[in-house]
Amino acid sequence: MSYFLPILIALLIIYALIKKVNVYSAFVRGAGNALPVLKEITPLICAIMISLSLLRSSGALEIITNILSPLLNTLGIDKEIAPLFILRPFSGSASLALLSDIFSHYGVDTFIGFLSSIMMGSTETIFYTIALYFGAAGIKKTRYAVPVALISSIVGVYVAVIVAKYLFYK
Amino acid sequence: MMNFLWAGMIIISIISSLSIGDGDGIINAMTQGALDSVTLIIQLAGSYMLWMGLVNIAKEAGLMEKLANIMKKPLSKLFPDSRSAVAPITLNLTANFLGISSAATPFGLEAIQELQKSNIDKTTASDDMCMFICLNASAIELLPTTVMSLRAASGSNQPQSIILPVFVSSIASFLCAMILCKVLRKR
Repeated sequence: MSYFLPILIALLIIYALIKKVNVYSAFVRGAGNALPVLKEITPLICAIMISLSLLRSSGALEIITNILSPLLNTLGIDKEIAPLFILRPFSGSASLALLSDIFSHYGVDTFIGFLSSIMMGSTETIFYTIALYFGAAGIKKTRYAVPVALISSIVGVYVAVIVAKYLFYK
Repeated sequence: MMNFLWAGMIIISIISSLSIGDGDGIINAMTQGALDSVTLIIQLAGSYMLWMGLVNIAKEAGLMEKLANIMKKPLSKLFPDSRSAVAPITLNLTANFLGISSAATPFGLEAIQELQKSNIDKTTASDDMCMFICLNASAIELLPTTVMSLRAASGSNQPQSIILPVFVSSIASFLCAMILCKVLRKR
């Protein structure tokens, strides 16, 4: 597995060279594209980090996760990840900030860090996506889109828990 | 929605802090949070530029179109009512697959406009639209670039160890969305 990415990168560069792409300037252009994204998410991340820091220091976060933990226990999700489970469907930058918060409190290479990374990577900001696309088309009645998106996200989370447990404790 | 979530988080915390008599802690915690956000962005910037750079090489070498061409045929079976939307839908899912969500959104918006053209009742979602939204909401990712960047920034020994599990669990939710939408179609 540790060879997978390096080999992929080498193959990619060789392929691009064969296709007569200026790899250097293509890389620079791509890296440059990251900057507007970072600039755009900075104030969003800032807003969320403030509320998260406040939630944690006031003890309210603990109360919320304790209330939710029985529900998440049935899915096999640790209560430390509960806030991510709630915030993830609404906002990508908020859940990114939360993920960073989880890493700094519980460690990135722990089981909690591993599982929350997988959950973050394999799920989408479904409510945001639905609002954006249906809003753009002027759709009012969304029929079965919301329940199906929610159910399949939960299925994804459930599989993530199983796979994470298997890979982490094997 | 974020409006109420955020406001709720702030108000609940302030009330909760005041009730335990920790008034000074409120401003300290807010300042600390704002400070943490800058640290996070700076740490994230490096590896995010790395991945966006590499992915752009793939894009400029035509790999995205190539991948999109392979996926076009099977995907067109899922959208029987709107042939013209298949191209932007494929590009949207391919961009998601490569972890460039900023490129995915414009294709997605184009796709929903195309889907709207073949929609009969313009205010109600068509079956094809539901299929598109649900597939998009459980998009398969080969390179979860943002999460890998954050893991690297947080000092992980193996930031890329999540690629396989992310792939497996997103395939599960993708299949689930596909099957449910197929079953719930009108015809």
